[in-house]
Amino acid sequence: MVPPRLCLSVAVLLLCFPFAGNAQRGAIPRTASGKPDMNGIWQALGNAHYDIEPHAASAAMAWRPGPVVPVPAKEVVALGAVGAVPSGQGIVVGGQIPYRPEALAKKRENQEHWLERDPEIKCYLPGIPRATYMPLPFQIFQSERATFMAYEYAGAVRNIYLKDPGPPQIDTWMGQSVGTWAADTLVVTTTGFNAETWFDRAGNHHSEAMKVVERFNMLGPDHIQYEATIEDSLTFTRPWTIRLPLYRLVNPDARLGQFKCAEFVEELMYGHLRKVPLKP
Amino acid sequence: MRKTIAALAAGALVLSVAGRVWAHHAFGAEFDPNAPIRLQGRVVKLEWVNPHAWIHIEVKKKGGGSEVWMVEGGTPNTLVRRGLTRQSIGYGTEVIVDGYQTKDHSLKRANGRDVTFTDGRKIFLGSSGTGAPRDGRDPSEPPVKKPPK
Amino acid sequence: MRIHRVVAVGITIAIGWPSARAIAQPSPAHAWTVPRTPDGHPDLQGNWSNATLTPLERPTGLDRVLTKEQVARLEKIRSDTIEKLNKASDPNRPAPPLGGDGSTGAAGNVGGYNYFWIDAGDHIAIVNGEPRSSIITDPPNGRVPPLTPAARARQAERVRQATRFGQYDNPENRPLAERCLMSFGSNAGPPMLPNYFYNNNYTIVQTKDHVMIMTEMVHDARIIRLNGGDPLPPNVRPWMGDSRGRWEGDTLVIETTNFHPRQTLRGASDSLRVVERLTRVDERTILYRFTVYDPSTFTQPWSGELPFVSMGNDLVLEYGCHEGNYALSNILSGARAEEREAARRKSAPTPSKP
Repeated sequence: MVPPRLCLSVAVLLLCFPFAGNAQRGAIPRTASGKPDMNGIWQALGNAHYDIEPHAASAAMAWRPGPVVPVPAKEVVALGAVGAVPSGQGIVVGGQIPYRPEALAKKRENQEHWLERDPEIKCYLPGIPRATYMPLPFQIFQSERATFMAYEYAGAVRNIYLKDPGPPQIDTWMGQSVGTWAADTLVVTTTGFNAETWFDRAGNHHSEAMKVVERFNMLGPDHIQYEATIEDSLTFTRPWTIRLPLYRLVNPDARLGQFKCAEFVEELMYGHLRKVPLKP
Repeated sequence: MRKTIAALAAGALVLSVAGRVWAHHAFGAEFDPNAPIRLQGRVVKLEWVNPHAWIHIEVKKKGGGSEVWMVEGGTPNTLVRRGLTRQSIGYGTEVIVDGYQTKDHSLKRANGRDVTFTDGRKIFLGSSGTGAPRDGRDPSEPPVKKPPK
Repeated sequence: MRIHRVVAVGITIAIGWPSARAIAQPSPAHAWTVPRTPDGHPDLQGNWSNATLTPLERPTGLDRVLTKEQVARLEKIRSDTIEKLNKASDPNRPAPPLGGDGSTGAAGNVGGYNYFWIDAGDHIAIVNGEPRSSIITDPPNGRVPPLTPAARARQAERVRQATRFGQYDNPENRPLAERCLMSFGSNAGPPMLPNYFYNNNYTIVQTKDHVMIMTEMVHDARIIRLNGGDPLPPNVRPWMGDSRGRWEGDTLVIETTNFHPRQTLRGASDSLRVVERLTRVDERTILYRFTVYDPSTFTQPWSGELPFVSMGNDLVLEYGCHEGNYALSNILSGARAEEREAARRKSAPTPSKP
């Protein structure tokens, strides 16, 4: 039997020397050159993909007037609860996106015309940062000479150049990314966006002038702290930042699935052009 | 003189792929051989997109006014790698296009069978012909260095 | 073995990869050593092109290896044609002929578009110093082997099924590439073959557990698992199949099964299996070899080889095919417009004789 005095001492010891949070999560794996090794499959949790601002749950993304309150639009009502929107804490630091007034008006219009306008519905490439927090995982391939990300959604990809090739010569959906290491943080600067992508399903948008600076910082072997700062003076009154953790898929058999959804939207996009369109 | 990729397929490529010509789509499916067009006008927009770039040209209509036609090109990726960008042809540049209208005649769209400046030179030729030395050639031959952008 | 001189040029394999200045060596005895990743395997990373003049199958009358004169003639025909196609046109030219301009193949009687959009590959593929008349090396005649009776029956059934629809009736009746589901030809494959048009480019990234090969069209990333793991169940058949790789000495060997049911390489069945071998043979070249196994379709396995050559400073660019796909809707709406016009003409009253 342990004498009570010894117990007390041990208890005091534990109180006096709490373990640091990071050490509890284990050491960060490192590449041959000592950089944090982010190889693997990662996924965001939560509901930022619906709306990156804080929001309560609601019945649908698309609405029509109802007898008492607005109700889900007829295109989505058959989905029932599957088509409903879960709540989200939001990932925008400070809560709200600092829109210019005309850009805020455009966001509202985007929401009213969500079914026609959200590029995700047509399986268009998601852009950055939306690709990061889609409800599907992505895989990082990190070698001494390259950092490449392959996203399950729509088979989107991006090669994060470790040497700057100069200004992008073409506007693209995923932009052109250049990465550098600042101590243990991978800093990725992306420019050359077109104006077509959204930040989420809530109509949050940007212009071709947007520049995104992301920071990937491993908190432990299975967690990345992800931040992205958006600069776009045509759309916003100041730069703003999103922040969320990314979680490693730890199942040893984990693999990226394939979601080449262009095929899945053919009836939606081209059904009216069939020789014999389906009856409504 | 054939100014088309057909000349390449039929004439130059002696090692043909046993008659099987790859095409991601048949132009003949999209454009109407019975609707030839010749357009002359100013470039007002360049959609620098895949799988096909689209050159928007404002042409004067007979009887006054103007209308904008979309002319289909190829993938811009090959041009970008040659150092060309959409800035290589400025908005307002006058071009001449001959081609065929889409089968859907309600659309003012045509294939860019031959797109030239008003002096007849091809647009988007850049500094060299193909400039592509990276396809199975003998590695003892030095590659052609690209001009900086 | 191919003899080569390593020449002094500033070759940067791709932006994002550190510069690798090749040192000029007057003596051919200088041995090039393959660069290696930290885990000791050859470094296959970078941007590579498999564009070539050499077709998949050998044309009649040619030997497996072309003579210097044959190579020079073929390459000159190509370069002469390109020069001709790039010459200035007559600024006073009229519209092209009514009824089409007679162009064949992809140009579809409407003349396609200018050659300056094309980047087809202007040189014969050289493997082990041999200029090749075909990518296929086995069977020895350089052709895809004959189909089995079962495969011919399946093909006849497919043709029968296809006649249920007009070729423009539905988006599903159009080729995969027109729908932007895959590239044209077998760019991503596997096997990874050139399309003889453009964008025959690949990015390879290599880690301890995976090799990732991204085909420019349609930004398709093949993820090859290196450390075993379970195969996919037979009912899960993704585009480009399921690939597992291993190193055999300095060669990366990739085996792929579980191909998508509509990715039928020359009529292949669902038991298609492709084995690829990638070997870095010099500063600028990966030798790519492949074998296609499908005993229910082909009377024998067939194999080919071709070089993947470094793209130097060039970038692999985004190919957002589906995002910009006007062509598919133009083709379908065009077919509908023609049908309406044909119906209108049919129902129009016959004009009375004067």
